[in-house]
Amino acid sequence: MSINYFISILKPMLEGAQMTVLLFLIAIVLSIPLGFVLTLAVRSSFKPVSWFAQIYIYVMRGTPLLLQLLFICFGLPMLPVIGDYLVLDRFVAACLGFTLNYAAYFAEIFRGGLMAIDKGQYEAAQVLGLNKWQTMTRIILPQMFRIALPAVANESVTLVKDTALLYAVAVPELLHYAQTVVNRDFTIVPFFIAGIIYLILTLLLTVLFKWLEQRFKFD
Amino acid sequence: MALIEVSNLKKSYGKLDVLKQITFDVNKNDVVAVIGPSGSGKSTMLRSLIHLEEIDGGSICISGEYLVRDGIYSKPQEIKRITSKMGMVFQHFNLFPHLTVKENLELAPRLVKKELNAEIERRSKELLEKIGLSDWATAYPGKLSGGQKQRVAIARALMMNPEILLFDEPTSALDPELTGEVLQVMKQLAEEHMTMIVVTHEMGFAKEVANRVIFMDNGEIIESGHPTELFTNPKFERTKAFLKRSLK
Ligand SMILES: Nc1ncnc2c1ncn2[C@@H]1O[C@H](COP(=O)(O)OP(=O)(O)O)[C@@H](O)[C@H]1O
Ligand SMILES: [Mg+2]
Repeated sequence: MSINYFISILKPMLEGAQMTVLLFLIAIVLSIPLGFVLTLAVRSSFKPVSWFAQIYIYVMRGTPLLLQLLFICFGLPMLPVIGDYLVLDRFVAACLGFTLNYAAYFAEIFRGGLMAIDKGQYEAAQVLGLNKWQTMTRIILPQMFRIALPAVANESVTLVKDTALLYAVAVPELLHYAQTVVNRDFTIVPFFIAGIIYLILTLLLTVLFKWLEQRFKFD
Repeated sequence: MALIEVSNLKKSYGKLDVLKQITFDVNKNDVVAVIGPSGSGKSTMLRSLIHLEEIDGGSICISGEYLVRDGIYSKPQEIKRITSKMGMVFQHFNLFPHLTVKENLELAPRLVKKELNAEIERRSKELLEKIGLSDWATAYPGKLSGGQKQRVAIARALMMNPEILLFDEPTSALDPELTGEVLQVMKQLAEEHMTMIVVTHEMGFAKEVANRVIFMDNGEIIESGHPTELFTNPKFERTKAFLKRSLK
């Protein structure tokens, strides 16, 4: 196999990888804050808000992401009356689907983080005179994020791999180009290249999160 | 006038009466040891003084201001002002694990008292020296022994310049060989005339440092008095039985 041939198949795959990385970045940047908002909503003392958030999380975690993506890309436009206005760009639709889905997972992770904080922390803050806002922002949330970090790292690695679902809604990403070349040239090399690119991406993420964990270690 | 006046305190959890008509006064500079069997309501009583528990009836008056009068609580900002006269030290320290020792001490003065940084730092330095942990200022609590943690927790409470310090079994979570260093700091505070209420199992401390002992059982104060009197000559059978068990 010539080096030229290798480069000729690597180039489109790297372009596809850009799509993968872009989706990952958009989804992670949007779903973490949204997940946090959901966590707060679940804990809201206003019951309808709490119920809505709980049902949302249940539905998002209880159905396949692939189904959700297909629904947003192909299902929404078929709705009567409003369907015509819901024809989204495939990539935009995918970003939306990933964000909405991952937010539910992050919400569960943050909820776990909050529950892991001893009630003595709230009591100590109270007797020192901190108000609710100060207690939340200075005492509880920093600990929650620290506790949640390993789980967030896991979820992020899963997200990188899940981007391959773009394949199913025909957005050209890494796997799409690999498959194209496999079919065209009858070679399995592109699969290995794709695997290696995913491994590099997840390795970078793992290293980043290990660094964050180290950076925010407090024991 | 007493610094703390508690009268007819009542609290129940469902059918369980945890506090039944608790009445006592604490004068300025008093060191009061509260003893009694586990489950007798000591923690609930102490925690209600600083509004970690809400009571169902009775009054709590702190230096002339009612936290709660005949079961009716003051307004939230009043409660905040009144409870700020007190500091509290917990059995499990409750230090903030994500903050260094120094940050643990300085957080509340910064956020709540809004004092000048220089003043806050001067005081935290002084208090760390006092508890013998100057070298640990930048360490996280996870690195400290239990005894060190509790000393830091005491210093953190002192940073707010409270008039009264409440302790809920400050040495019960410690290995026996570490209780001494904490009791030493508390003894020093007593010598400096800090007003303290200490729920404790340390009969030695109660005898040696307290000028009054309150014995609680089953949600009631059975008797109270000077430690020499209460320990050597208890009036009630329940007190005798408890002392016999715990002085063994
Ligand atoms: N949140 C609660 N719910 C129900 N019962 C409680 C609660 N807190 C304390 N109790 C009960 O109140 C009683 C007094 O508890 P506590 O004040 O902690 O006693 P002590 O500190 O003397 O051991 C105990 O019987 C305990 O089980
Ligand atoms: Mg107790």
